[in-house]
Amino acid sequence: MNGLRGLEALFNPSSVAIIGATPIEGKIGRVLVENFTKRYRGETYLVNPKYGEILGLKCYKSVKELPEPPKLAVIAIPAPSVPQVLMECGETGVKAAIIISGGFSETGTDEGIRLEREVREIVEKYEIRVVGPNCLGVFDNYSGVDTFFLPEERMKRPPKGGISFISQSGAFASALLDYMAYNNLGIARAISYGNKVDVDDVDLMKFLKDDPVTKVIVLYIEGFKESRGRAFMEVAREVVKKKPVIVYKAGKTPRGSRAVISHTAALAGDYSIYSAAFRQVGIIEAGTFDEITDFAKIFLTQPLMKGNRVFIVTDAGGIGVMLTDALVKEGFEVPLTPEDLREELRKVLPRHCIPDNPIDLTGDADDERYRDVLEIVAFKPYVDALVIGALPHIPGMTMKIAYYISSIVERAGKPVAIIDIGSEVALKFKVEFERRGMPVYESPERVARALRALYAYSKYLKKYERGVSNDP
Amino acid sequence: MEHESIKLLESYGVPVAEAELASGVDEAVVLARKIGYPVVLKVVSPDISHKSDVGGVKIGVDSDDSVRSAFSEIISNASKRAPGSRIVGVLVQKMAPSGGVEVIIGGLRDRAFGSVVMFGLGGVFVEVLRDVSFRVAPISEEEAYEMLGELKGSIVLNGYRGIPSVDKLSLVKIILKVAEILDENPEIDSLDLNPVMSYTSGALVVDARIVLRSVG
Repeated sequence: MNGLRGLEALFNPSSVAIIGATPIEGKIGRVLVENFTKRYRGETYLVNPKYGEILGLKCYKSVKELPEPPKLAVIAIPAPSVPQVLMECGETGVKAAIIISGGFSETGTDEGIRLEREVREIVEKYEIRVVGPNCLGVFDNYSGVDTFFLPEERMKRPPKGGISFISQSGAFASALLDYMAYNNLGIARAISYGNKVDVDDVDLMKFLKDDPVTKVIVLYIEGFKESRGRAFMEVAREVVKKKPVIVYKAGKTPRGSRAVISHTAALAGDYSIYSAAFRQVGIIEAGTFDEITDFAKIFLTQPLMKGNRVFIVTDAGGIGVMLTDALVKEGFEVPLTPEDLREELRKVLPRHCIPDNPIDLTGDADDERYRDVLEIVAFKPYVDALVIGALPHIPGMTMKIAYYISSIVERAGKPVAIIDIGSEVALKFKVEFERRGMPVYESPERVARALRALYAYSKYLKKYERGVSNDP
Repeated sequence: MEHESIKLLESYGVPVAEAELASGVDEAVVLARKIGYPVVLKVVSPDISHKSDVGGVKIGVDSDDSVRSAFSEIISNASKRAPGSRIVGVLVQKMAPSGGVEVIIGGLRDRAFGSVVMFGLGGVFVEVLRDVSFRVAPISEEEAYEMLGELKGSIVLNGYRGIPSVDKLSLVKIILKVAEILDENPEIDSLDLNPVMSYTSGALVVDARIVLRSVG
């Protein structure tokens, strides 16, 4: 918990020592060797007194024998040996370490707690920055640092991108990375910090605030340690001014451990305080698993919303009605098409199309009908965002639609979200829409909630820009 | 205890229904006259936290005679329904005017976040619907206003069917005072101002409970 010092070495070290490297398949130390030899471009040193060579690479007896002190030590050895090895790292001048090993305070045993205390003392003595113990560590898509010890055939690595992910749970971190890989969502860095003996959410947020490749931060949080909630709020306030932060808070049901003598204490489950704190500093809370990526997608690709008026352009009337309901339920206005716009639309639309909002292009629509309508609607000052119903089941739609929509909304500077429901064909269109930087959702409710998240963040930034006024 | 809580709130300029502690029945009559009828009488005991449950509260007391009978009734109820309780006295309090909206304002100290303030609508809203909002202190006046607007039942504060809006600023000021009290009194673990009567002009704390941190 020492601010930014040394954090860079956790993500972008010029050399790494893998302590506990092994040739034995199925072991953590083996996966680590494979991860680093595959993608990491810096110097990799293997350390294990039992081997002279692993997978054709020289293996050293201890960290002290290395030709240079590594910038980062990755420690994957049984817990009882960790303090000794970490001390050697400290003596050698290593400034950052990731302790993968479990068997510390999380076990609740006296020995585990003692070992963790020893680790903490060494951290303080040598001023080493430590992630872990009991964690997956760091996955950095740019430097190739990858201590997630899950083999690639089990956990796919996502493409490079702008999302950075901080997780209190290792299993959730790996599940989300695999899920993002499958959904083609780009990751910059992911961190599972386990028992957070040193580096925690607060430090990582500070680091990611100024990280140029991180565009959106996602956090999975179970709980903060003593007074770290307040420290987190302080740093989050600064981060949110630069990039959106999405949080998923696990453990939402009341814990019941608080003394319930007073009404206020009884009413304040932990979660209501966390939720209030997030809102206060402009963090967007994902209420469900789906919302994590649903929100990240729209933040990554879309500009801010200036107001809450949404126009819907669709090829399916029913979807238009569902969208209207979902948007209104999330607090948006879906205004009736003003008369002047109606006149303009009538000039480009066939008689059977409906120029209300939702603007129904009907089942015989083609790409050009979308184009012609959007060229008019997207530029109206009273349109704050567009939702496009693009159900690909109509014969007139081709991939060109994605090009038309993206180029028009980009010129107009308006946020857009696409709804696209269906099987293989729908999936092909989805890929094309997303390739062109437009988020695609499979239900009206998910579109509406993603848009609400974007609007909530936009409103927060606007409020921050105008400063906190005292007017009611 | 309640009279001490009230004194603390008064020292911070929180509007509290005027109250004095009477240790005997004659003193209660004197205080009731001084405060002005009608008054409310409440038992004060470190061992009784739910005063109405033991028959320890009498409202609408409007004459010297009724003060006397209410006083003895409260003492006898308390000794019957909460035997062994230490009774410090009876609080004589100005009865809050009718026609207000009942709200609850609270504060607590959270392990991870520190001082937290709460606002909610009183009565059934808080008991059944848990319609409350929270903020981590310190907060601005604007944020305190947001706490009022965030409630599902906020229309009750805004006025409806010809009933005018309550004086929101007076509530906002109390919320900010609660944050200040928590900040300046580290020995306080939590406090409840419940109910606070909110009127078209002004607000009045009717009952308050402050819980101190347990030692050790």
